[in-house]
Amino acid sequence: MGVTCVCQVPVAEGKSVQQTVEQLHKKLEQLGAMKQGSFFVDCETYHATSNASGQPSKLLYVMHNSETPLSCLALFEGGPFLTADANFDVLMVKLKSHFQNAKGHKVESRGARYRYCDFLVKVGTVTMSSSARGISVEVEYCACVVPGDCWNLMKEFMQSFLGSSVPELPAVFSSKPEGLFVPTDCMDTMSQYLELFSKVRKQQVLPGSSVR
Amino acid sequence: MADVMNVGVNLEAFSQAINAIQALRSSVTRVFDSLKDGMKNKETLEGREKAFITDFQDNLQSVNRDLNELERLSTLVGRPSESHPLHNSGLLSLDPVQDKTPLYSQLLQAYKWSNKLQYHAGLASSLLNQQSLKRSANQIGASAKRRPKVQPSTLVLPIQYVDDVISRIGRMFPDLSIELFRPNGTSAVLLVTLGKVLKAIVVMRSLFIDRTIVRGYHENVHSEDGKLDIWSKSNYQVFQKVTDHATTALLHYQLPQMPDVVVRSFMTWLRSYIKLFQTPCQRCGRFLQDGLPPTWRDFRTLEAFHDTCRQ
Amino acid sequence: MEAPPVTVMPVTGGTINMMEYLLQGSVLDQSLDSLLHRLRGLCDNMEPESFADHELVYLLKGQQGNPFILRARRSLAHPTAPWHLRYLGQPEVGDKSRHALVRNCVDVAASHSLPDFLNEMGFRMDHEFVAKGHIFRKGALKVVVSKLSRVLVPGNTDNTEPLSLSYLVELSVLAPAGQDTVSEDMRSFAEQLKPLVHLEKIDPKRLM
Repeated sequence: MGVTCVCQVPVAEGKSVQQTVEQLHKKLEQLGAMKQGSFFVDCETYHATSNASGQPSKLLYVMHNSETPLSCLALFEGGPFLTADANFDVLMVKLKSHFQNAKGHKVESRGARYRYCDFLVKVGTVTMSSSARGISVEVEYCACVVPGDCWNLMKEFMQSFLGSSVPELPAVFSSKPEGLFVPTDCMDTMSQYLELFSKVRKQQVLPGSSVR
Repeated sequence: MADVMNVGVNLEAFSQAINAIQALRSSVTRVFDSLKDGMKNKETLEGREKAFITDFQDNLQSVNRDLNELERLSTLVGRPSESHPLHNSGLLSLDPVQDKTPLYSQLLQAYKWSNKLQYHAGLASSLLNQQSLKRSANQIGASAKRRPKVQPSTLVLPIQYVDDVISRIGRMFPDLSIELFRPNGTSAVLLVTLGKVLKAIVVMRSLFIDRTIVRGYHENVHSEDGKLDIWSKSNYQVFQKVTDHATTALLHYQLPQMPDVVVRSFMTWLRSYIKLFQTPCQRCGRFLQDGLPPTWRDFRTLEAFHDTCRQ
Repeated sequence: MEAPPVTVMPVTGGTINMMEYLLQGSVLDQSLDSLLHRLRGLCDNMEPESFADHELVYLLKGQQGNPFILRARRSLAHPTAPWHLRYLGQPEVGDKSRHALVRNCVDVAASHSLPDFLNEMGFRMDHEFVAKGHIFRKGALKVVVSKLSRVLVPGNTDNTEPLSLSYLVELSVLAPAGQDTVSEDMRSFAEQLKPLVHLEKIDPKRLM
């Protein structure tokens, strides 16, 4: 598990989501990246049907990542996180009288997985209720585990195919109490996806942002 | 010119002396001839004996006379000169037909060359004895009997000494953590962890570094049975490249008389990878080239370069 | 508030609808050794495995109905091992012909953040205990012989007191729903442990 950065890439003007994704694929292939299968990340949203304390209930997210196919990640926004095996999904079914699955809120990102040297690039189409809503790009530098060490290097790499839409350092790293210099784990990646997904969800509300 | 005069006088004496030797030889021959012939036929026995004895006496006297003459002449001849550096071969310089057979000058040249050769060979042999290039005892081959004596002692250092040197180096560099293992007998294997960047496995033979392999900080250094895995290479291209460069560094840092200095220099060099992902190339100023960060570190200045930027 | 539609199967992985078949009994401390020898003889040839677990029982109280119970277990002997989270359903009613108690069961391996996470979900710890004992296997059958101790100071597993002078003996099988033949196997296995221990179908509800 290296250092990852997940970002949303704006759809190119006058292009569809699909066309923009293909453009990114072409750029990566020109760079020399090799296509290595596909990937998916999905996220279910649950909310508590009742809570004794009367406080507004927090949303519970359950996520899956094809990189860790036997695991299931459950998280509340802002923590805590839980890594569990796939039976956690079954447990959530048992818990349905207390936690309801907001089916319409299921978001997922699917797409191709590219390898370039020690980099892993995943270009995904973010879909919600079976309509494409945006593009996610995940870049992982597998050889390094400390975000503060390799951020500039990753930025240079992302510039080479994303151009100007290179993101800033993901907030998950800088918000850690230990700073940038502790090894990352898969939770860092998933919370970045979660952040991206909630952005996409809110986008839906905006009237002018309809995407094909 | 005095020499020439001297030689002339001596030559005179030589020829006289040679004549004297010839005279001595013939008189000695006469003594033995008369002894061989025995007594001559005379009327009386006394007559025969008397004539034989006087004859013999005469002959001996002439031998004596010739011998004296030779001794006298030999003092005149004197000893042959020994002052010449090339001893008797120096006499070749006296050869009057030097132009046709330049033996002497050729001899001098050859002598000079052989002198130089011997001198240089001496220097080289003493240097080679100090700096044994042999890294394993089995390569010597031929002189099997002498082998144990010839081996320099730096290949067999006490374990305690090796431990001391390694732990001293460990204390010198706080960002290097060195663990020492001895999985097979006395040879040490070091597991060097550099910050949160990389792990290097260094296989030692006494204090000589035999092999090194570099892997990522989060990669396994142990194989499944829990032993140190000193063979399989890193999964990441950047560390495969660093492994190659580290092997080059092993060959670069060689000072057989002071193996501890070599280990220290190697570790100093390895430590410069602490900023492997943070330093741009000193030549092209970029972080990446073909997807790799600057993996080369200059042996002297420790500056970072891409492999292709270092020339 | 209108409830959003609940998916029938949001499951991407995992094994659904596993049932636990269970028989329980107990043995006095004095007879423990004979039982262990008997079990070693009967069960698969393996080194006897001992364990020491700390179990925390969590309740989630809803507005109506019974509270939702989850059991979180961690190994005291292997502190780095994952936590084990277990859901046990209500015993299936009726069906007197079955020889074992049958209930729904979900086992989840989870990371060490489990207690915090359960708290965040609204679960509250109800009680905790320490179980130490031995585990045996025979095919799919699992036999657990354990001593239960109560935790005197909450959270401190070093300070415990045995609950009784006997060991709990549980014979269980995990199988997909409907495979009732396993209860036959269990009954015949339990027969072989008599008279050392009598394993019975015990309905926990009756004891409450």
